[in-house]
Amino acid sequence: MIRRGGSGGFLTGVCLGAVVLWSFATSDMELSRLLSAGPRIGEFLGRMIPPDLTVMSEIVDGTAETLRIAILGTLGAVILSVPLGLAASETMVPPVIYRSVRTLLALIRAIPLLLVAMLMVGAVGLGPMPGVIAVAFHATGMLGKFYAEAIDGVARPPVEALQSAGAGPLVRLRHAIWPQMAPVIARDTIFRFELNLRESLILGIVGAGGIGFYIQTYVRSFQYDKAASVTIAVILLVIAIEVLNVALRKRFS
Amino acid sequence: MTRVIDLVDLSFLHSGAELPALNDVSLVVEAGEAVVLLGPSGAGKTTLLALLDGRLQGWTGCVSVLGRGLAPDAPPPVAARPDTGFIFQEFALVERSSVLRNVLNGRLGRMSSVAAFFGRHSEHDLDAAHQALADCGIGELAHRRVDSLSGGQRQRVAIARCLAQEPRLILADEPVSNLDPARADEILALITNAAAKRGATTVFSSHQPELALRFASRAVGMAGGSVVLDRVVSAMSDAEIGALYHDVVEGAVALRLVQ
Repeated sequence: MIRRGGSGGFLTGVCLGAVVLWSFATSDMELSRLLSAGPRIGEFLGRMIPPDLTVMSEIVDGTAETLRIAILGTLGAVILSVPLGLAASETMVPPVIYRSVRTLLALIRAIPLLLVAMLMVGAVGLGPMPGVIAVAFHATGMLGKFYAEAIDGVARPPVEALQSAGAGPLVRLRHAIWPQMAPVIARDTIFRFELNLRESLILGIVGAGGIGFYIQTYVRSFQYDKAASVTIAVILLVIAIEVLNVALRKRFS
Repeated sequence: MTRVIDLVDLSFLHSGAELPALNDVSLVVEAGEAVVLLGPSGAGKTTLLALLDGRLQGWTGCVSVLGRGLAPDAPPPVAARPDTGFIFQEFALVERSSVLRNVLNGRLGRMSSVAAFFGRHSEHDLDAAHQALADCGIGELAHRRVDSLSGGQRQRVAIARCLAQEPRLILADEPVSNLDPARADEILALITNAAAKRGATTVFSSHQPELALRFASRAVGMAGGSVVLDRVVSAMSDAEIGALYHDVVEGAVALRLVQ
């Protein structure tokens, strides 16, 4: 529905304009600074080329650690999301329970991963462990919701047919509900693993392990040729995981 | 003869509805009969079948199925349910599972909970499933996934699941409502022959009297939630059968207008 004209539309326009102007006026936006940035960006790029491939062993170590964080973080999220997904399902529990659990999941989703990671670094110290905990926690907010939707998306008639045939609740879960849910859950989990991997790439910036540590180290120490190698590795990793994800999702359609 | 179904003054009102779906229905079905429930949409046929399957509560009157009284406020005990088989109008199959898995699902109610959960079927379960598939003419589809089948094939899977359950009473909701006459003949012959072979009693609903009467031993006409006709088919003259469509379908419309 698009409403044209009227005082409502005019008021909306004035408000939007005011918000944009306020943002401009208070953000130190100066054209001169943008113009003088050109040569400096050129200098960065010049120092990135050619990429320094002597850091290959650091890249391999960092990538492996990021993968481990994503794998263990996803596993933790799956373990947390199964009970939370059940408790957030409209068809499994009374409204008072699923509403509170859904609110909890929304709150978890609202906390940025980096914030959780920083808190965890403070709590358990540097290294991949705070990264794993942060990824598991953060991903549960989405995966728990997805699992609840997978449970609620199950067609009821086959479940009723098994009940009519005398099958008890657990048997119905196994033979009528699970076969419908399993492919959806597999797809959601693979999708979340891809997100976890992408998000784990930067965890090293706050000291929570993985390849992000090297990006931060090389940029801060002006070793742009090494940073370039790490960046290329990250891009290749993201492309690889996306290709893998597409292939796996086809398998579960 | 033993009474498979015994209804006395059965009434049922869907929550929120103004008119009762079933209104003082009294009906006796003996073992081995093949009863067709005739009547237009909204006559109460589907409600009566679901109620006999133990899926509706909140009715009044007396209901006895296979010698066991149903409680008006609680579903029947799990142990009693496999004896009543139901062929669902929309088939109610697990689409991503294989045909054989769906047919074996009909056996789950007759197994111990642990064996059923892990799908550890006995030789007898597998024999019953394969016999049911063969009777339905789809033995070669056993390992296909249901979501790769045509509508007609799915219906045969739904019938096979019910037969594999080895029920003593088979209930079928509008089994031929969406089929052309030739296919409808095949399906009704399939259900009634398979039931006769297994000594099961059959009750199915239809709004096509001319078709259903060739396979039923008894016709029960329903309109507005009441039984308006109850005749043994072999005792009906051709003229009566010819008049049935008028009596049941158009008469029901008149009755509903009066109400």
